[in-house]
Amino acid sequence: MKLDLTPILESKRAFRRRAAARPIAEKLRMLDALRERTLAIRRASNSGPAKKPVVRETRPDLRATDH
Amino acid sequence: MGIKEVIEMINRMEAAGVIERYAIGGAVGATFYLEPVATLDVDIFVEFHTEPDSQMISPEPIFRYLRDCGCAMEGEHVVIAGWPVQFLPAGSALVQEALTKAVEKDVEGTPARVFTAEHVAAIALETGRAKDKARVLQFIEADAIDLQRLQEILTRHGLAGAWKQFERQFLK
Repeated sequence: MKLDLTPILESKRAFRRRAAARPIAEKLRMLDALRERTLAIRRASNSGPAKKPVVRETRPDLRATDH
Repeated sequence: MGIKEVIEMINRMEAAGVIERYAIGGAVGATFYLEPVATLDVDIFVEFHTEPDSQMISPEPIFRYLRDCGCAMEGEHVVIAGWPVQFLPAGSALVQEALTKAVEKDVEGTPARVFTAEHVAAIALETGRAKDKARVLQFIEADAIDLQRLQEILTRHGLAGAWKQFERQFLK
């Protein structure tokens, strides 16, 4: 079976065109809402269980020290 | 609280002579021409006043005015109507030109001065981060810029090479 992405991509483009063509005041309100959503996601992802230790690319014995 | 209140505050600052001329740039500026894309702050480009008895430009009158209006400082941003707002000087010939040629738009009865689409795209190309390049692509895909006009701006400001590279990377 072969999936034809063309109608999906065209639908996405049409959605973006419609969003771009909305009145500017409405688009600015959408920015307000997008920012609220982004901040909510950020808060939620920071309030989870304690974070795992950071994975470093450099082996501990090869890391530069601060002194 | 929202961006419209930010614009109203900036208009009041201009009317009060705190800033000489402003224009909205960055993601919020791009939203006047494209579909909205999430952003966390508002970029306002301004001509700064010089302080009395000084030849140096200073953002202090802006901060003083906004502090008196009850706005809080947050790093290099001032929080207006819940939005962190960054005041940026027209630090290059390209941005100075963008500020001069900025156009007035109507936001439900509130005037807002915004960079032209071509200047938003040119500044994005000059800044050159991944998200800036994505913005230039958005303008092109949405057919929201006059490419001839963009190329004239880029040539005038020594960015023809950056455009050629961008074309090779994304448009060919």
